[in-house]
Amino acid sequence: MAIKLEKVVQGFYDFLEEGKIMGRRCPKCGAVEFPPVYACNSCGSLETEWCEISGKAKMHSIVMPAALSSKPEYRELGKYAYGEVELAEGARCNAVVRGISRKSRKELLERMPLDVHAAIYQRDGYKTVVFDLDEKYLG
Amino acid sequence: MNQTKVNQYARSVSIIGVGCTPFMYTVDNQETDGLTEGELFGYAALKAMEDAGVNPQDIDFYFHGEASPLNGSNYLTPNIQIANWFGMKGKASIHHSEACCTGYYAIEQAVNAVASGKYNCVLSGCVEFGDSVAVPNHPYKREKMTMEKFLQTTAWLYDRNYTRSFMAGQELIYDDAAEWYKRTRGLTDEQMDDTLNMMSIANRKNASMDEIAIERRTYEELAREAGFDNVMDYMRSPYNPKNGDFLRMSGIELKCDGAAAVIVCATDMVETYMGNKSHKAIEVLGCGCAACEATTPHFEVTATEEAVRQVYEVTGVKPEELDIFYANDFIITSHLVSAEIAGYLPYGEGWKYICEGRTAYDGDKPINTNGGRTSFGHAHAASGLADLYEAVKQMRGECGERQVKKLPRTAMLRGYGGAQNICTYIIRTAD
Repeated sequence: MAIKLEKVVQGFYDFLEEGKIMGRRCPKCGAVEFPPVYACNSCGSLETEWCEISGKAKMHSIVMPAALSSKPEYRELGKYAYGEVELAEGARCNAVVRGISRKSRKELLERMPLDVHAAIYQRDGYKTVVFDLDEKYLG
Repeated sequence: MNQTKVNQYARSVSIIGVGCTPFMYTVDNQETDGLTEGELFGYAALKAMEDAGVNPQDIDFYFHGEASPLNGSNYLTPNIQIANWFGMKGKASIHHSEACCTGYYAIEQAVNAVASGKYNCVLSGCVEFGDSVAVPNHPYKREKMTMEKFLQTTAWLYDRNYTRSFMAGQELIYDDAAEWYKRTRGLTDEQMDDTLNMMSIANRKNASMDEIAIERRTYEELAREAGFDNVMDYMRSPYNPKNGDFLRMSGIELKCDGAAAVIVCATDMVETYMGNKSHKAIEVLGCGCAACEATTPHFEVTATEEAVRQVYEVTGVKPEELDIFYANDFIITSHLVSAEIAGYLPYGEGWKYICEGRTAYDGDKPINTNGGRTSFGHAHAASGLADLYEAVKQMRGECGERQVKKLPRTAMLRGYGGAQNICTYIIRTAD
């Protein structure tokens, strides 16, 4: 590999259009960067390479949206919360997780961490990544 | 996460002068409507020079901080426009912005410039019109900043490639630290709510005795006016609505206008600069810094842990040596979380100290004795240096009726802002 001037951001969103959620894997230590960037923040390697994310993840915290922390366009998400999500590949990030309401939060907190899975979500003009609560918690 | 080893300064640097304007809603009052950047910054800078016993020609260089100069002042290079106002025409300067953390990095920048040996005496100041914006094509008029405009510009704090797209990082600033604290320390919802309210009450109690604070009516007074006998009933009522998952109205910054400045010099030159001034210089022992952009889980907690680790390691100071603590608490939870991470309040017990009133100016663990961002006010870049101004005044015993019980010798200040920088430093009165 060599250090490349590469459109990683555009690449990430182009992959979403193809139905693929991609991160970048470090060829030296194997850590995965999500969302994808050039270098490895785990071992300091100067290079990473594309890898597809399995989509399996765990949610470690739940914060409910409120007047200060929501926007009108988020209504299209349905019921959702914010929180720390850990991908099966190891990367952790803040994300939206659909399927959580104020009512269900209490019960869900007793079952933390929660199994969730990544989904591709259409926003105005581009696709992005959110997560959904696994079906076993629903109903 | 990446860690940094911080080295000791190449030479010791001390604070010799501080200045601060009142924090204001300038356009709301005839007396202050029309004030400009040069006038606010100039006032703070000249007050700092007077305090230090120096004149502008003694100062070698100055740093200028403003969180959002393009939006607030129609300036790209705001440092250049104001030097003449405080007698430093022709002197070199640089502008920096770390948003709400700017006033904390302001001291770090000044200390580094002197510690390196390049300069002997440096001024660092910050100014912000957080409540108004310049009217384009007019020499001094300003207009109120609408909430819509404010939210539009704060969105610029967040990474546009992923964070804004993912919709979570920018929203978690309000409640993530409260969720983290409540979960990791095992509090009930009611205990967390009371803790947040008690921090707001303590901040206001402190500000009520500070003549340059923006809001001085205590919550006890507001509760009585609204017909409540018990202030906590008021704080839990719709008078103090929950507009976050945990956060209430009382726990949010009062954005406003203001400026503050500090002058530092090489410690071995203090007498040369200060002449016959009677106050003691205050040494900057060290500074720890870290930053986590907003897709990082628990960004405030994570970056604060690293910055605090650095500053203790480089200074050798122990948490039990801290006499007073300041935290940039534009979200009130910062106040609790940072004091506990720093060990100023014991792990898992900080919320109890707050609920028992021990962190107000007259308690044994004073925090934000000027009232912090929810009562002293938040002139974004200037707030960090306003906290330093207050810390220095407390350490000199110059705070009158809000003077803390035991004269503080060692203080920690923890800056936070800009989605998100953390800058934590320790200062100590010279022997």
